[in-house]
Amino acid sequence: MLPADCSRRLVAELRDALDACAERQRQLERSLRVSRRLLRTWEPAETPAPQPTPAPETSGEAPSPESTPSSQDLKELELLTQALEKAVRVRKGISKTGERHKALSLKSGSAATSATTASAPSRPSGQASCRVSETKPPRGIQQTVVPARGLPESRLLSVGDRTHMGRGSRATKPGPGPRDQQIPPSAALQAPEAFTLKEKGILLRLPMAYRKAASRNSRLWAQLSSAQTSDSMDAAATAKTQFLQKMQMTSGGPGSGLSAAAVEAEVGLLRTACLLLRRRMEEVLSADPADCMQEYRCLLTLEGLQAITEQCLHRLQELRAAVVGRQLGPWPVGRRPGASLPCGGGTDPLWSPQLLLYSSTQELQTLEALRLRLAMLDQQIHLEKVLMAELLPLVGTQGPHWLALCRAVHSLLCEGGERFLTVLRDEPAD
Amino acid sequence: MGRRRRRVDRGAAVGALPEAIAALSRTLPAGPSPEIFRRAKFDRPEAAPALWQLLFRVLSPLSADGASASPAQGEPPSTEAQVRAVKSELRSQGYPRQALAQLPEDGSQGSRELLLALAWLLARGPLLERLLAQTRVRLGDEIPLCECEALARPGPPVPRVEADGPVDIRHLQWLMGKLRFQWRKLITSQQEQCALLGKIHSYTRGCHSDRSLGHLSVAETELLRDAEGGQQDTVLGTCPPEASQPTFVPRIPERGAGEWELVARELQALQEELRGAAEPRRAAWEARVGGWGPEWSAVQRASREAVGLELAALQRAWERGGAAAQPHGPCRLVKSDAGASGGPGLRAAQVIEVLRSREACLEAVLCQLQRQCRQELARLAGALPGLIWILPPGR
Repeated sequence: MLPADCSRRLVAELRDALDACAERQRQLERSLRVSRRLLRTWEPAETPAPQPTPAPETSGEAPSPESTPSSQDLKELELLTQALEKAVRVRKGISKTGERHKALSLKSGSAATSATTASAPSRPSGQASCRVSETKPPRGIQQTVVPARGLPESRLLSVGDRTHMGRGSRATKPGPGPRDQQIPPSAALQAPEAFTLKEKGILLRLPMAYRKAASRNSRLWAQLSSAQTSDSMDAAATAKTQFLQKMQMTSGGPGSGLSAAAVEAEVGLLRTACLLLRRRMEEVLSADPADCMQEYRCLLTLEGLQAITEQCLHRLQELRAAVVGRQLGPWPVGRRPGASLPCGGGTDPLWSPQLLLYSSTQELQTLEALRLRLAMLDQQIHLEKVLMAELLPLVGTQGPHWLALCRAVHSLLCEGGERFLTVLRDEPAD
Repeated sequence: MGRRRRRVDRGAAVGALPEAIAALSRTLPAGPSPEIFRRAKFDRPEAAPALWQLLFRVLSPLSADGASASPAQGEPPSTEAQVRAVKSELRSQGYPRQALAQLPEDGSQGSRELLLALAWLLARGPLLERLLAQTRVRLGDEIPLCECEALARPGPPVPRVEADGPVDIRHLQWLMGKLRFQWRKLITSQQEQCALLGKIHSYTRGCHSDRSLGHLSVAETELLRDAEGGQQDTVLGTCPPEASQPTFVPRIPERGAGEWELVARELQALQEELRGAAEPRRAAWEARVGGWGPEWSAVQRASREAVGLELAALQRAWERGGAAAQPHGPCRLVKSDAGASGGPGLRAAQVIEVLRSREACLEAVLCQLQRQCRQELARLAGALPGLIWILPPGR
């Protein structure tokens, strides 16, 4: 058992870490709920009616509701739309579990013959797992029938037609992909159908009031950020620094303008610096110089590291003097003592909302995964420091169950709690 | 309008002052009227309470719904509490003047000093922009690149019942395992959310009136979805709250001063070791190289430059870690193919690179800490003979 105060502190730290994680999870779940809801069929069945005069770029191909497309065009368009739907579903279905496939293969045998024949043209070319695509489309057809509450008959009719349309369409099969949903579904199908973002998302238009407000908003932000780079800003900046200096001089003590927060953060930085310098030193010392040049470089690196270390020590003394000289205020309650890598903050950061362009879902996932990883590493480093401070002294003083404690501490501190070492008693052979 | 203002500023700044003050009083939360500002200039006592309140609102970090951060209490804190909070906060930010700390706690005096404090805050940093960033409605899908805003905000309130007595170390191991599992869950949830976002952005491509954005965000799509149901008013109210997730806020360390000594000791030890390693090498080098020709000096210079660059890069790793290039505050996510060519906005690929280098740095720090622990434990364990320590297989 660990001593009471040590236990209290460590448990509190770990629980804080868990709470922070849980908070992130809660926010993520909230966002997930919102996004999933948007991607489902939009209930009630009233669709946000597209503006009476849709924008030119999307209406280029969609005929106006008044003109009647030929039945041939209609069917072809329908066919294409459904083929695309299936392609997307197949792609999604490939990642589903195997049991689904088995269940569907049983179903496909008993499915309508028209369905199975119609499944042939929708098999996307180039898909590796042909077996999957055979079993998926029947389910897909069932799915398309369900949402089209208003037009079940017309869909089933088209399924029958498709048998001899199918072969023709294979040649003109478009590449499946979300991009192709730019082809708007046929205008005649605009009648009461449930709205899904996937199919009709491009028809959405923001309300006029919102558009006006949003454009005014972005114009004002642009004005603000351009004003920040104009000449008058330099004059303002110098005026500011002069003012700050005057404030400093009229204050009671000498003061360095540092706050407790800044000092703490810098000390943390210097600790990180020490770690990285030491790491580089160990790298250099363990390397085997192959020739003169490398030897010289090693020497220079060591001397350079020494110089930097001295700078850091000097800075540390300065910080100490600042702290001792002017009693810096107590840490405000609820603040984090210091990040391991705090950012500059002071010098004119950009506060206007910026755009971050990403090109694919994978890229976005990589970005977010990295952000989470950084947060996790940050937390791990903090916990490591706290655990070191509390547990190493305990190992130093041998008590009961010292071996077990040592083993546990080693695992926690050196292996992140993931691995354990083994301790054997070295019994002399009798 | 902007042009006229600039010309005025260059000339007599006095003319623009009333306008500026009026704008300021409109912008600030609980903004005092311009009359209050004027009275404060003459240190009139009746202006003091309003300014105390203003500073309290400005300095106390805002929670998501813009309310002041004392969620435990239903009503705003008392004047004394506000005064104390403002004093403590200003002091910890490094406010130089002692006069502020000496003002009475009933908030009845010191309006001129408070005016100075406000001016100091405005001069130091982008106070107004930061306030704006905290209270504005988020229209886009935002991703915070810099955690500094999150750090400034307190985490969720922690009225926690204190942990009971001593625990076994296995409890700690269990908590650590739970934490690891939570992170893994987080990562998978996050990946799913990214996939969904990608879909929503793709499906609404071409819908946005603003060409540079191109597609709708989740908030905007929700606006349209719920618009039909006559819920327009509530949609903005349920706009996704602060997208920037707060990093955890550990307790105030009870041994804050200890870190300084620790760092000092570590740096001194490092310095000793470096000196011990470098001096003999230098001596040996000089002995070998003593009589070498002038062509050697060019090579030496090249080496010096190369090493200098390497060390500078190393230094950058801990100093402000390249974050100067990053914008603060959240960025709006936009799915776009035209990423390569010009146009405003950051590119995800670049941000990823920066994050990777930061990741490498943090990993190095963690590795180094673990190595120190290993050495220390080995030293302690070595004191006890008769045991064989078999380390777990390497990573």
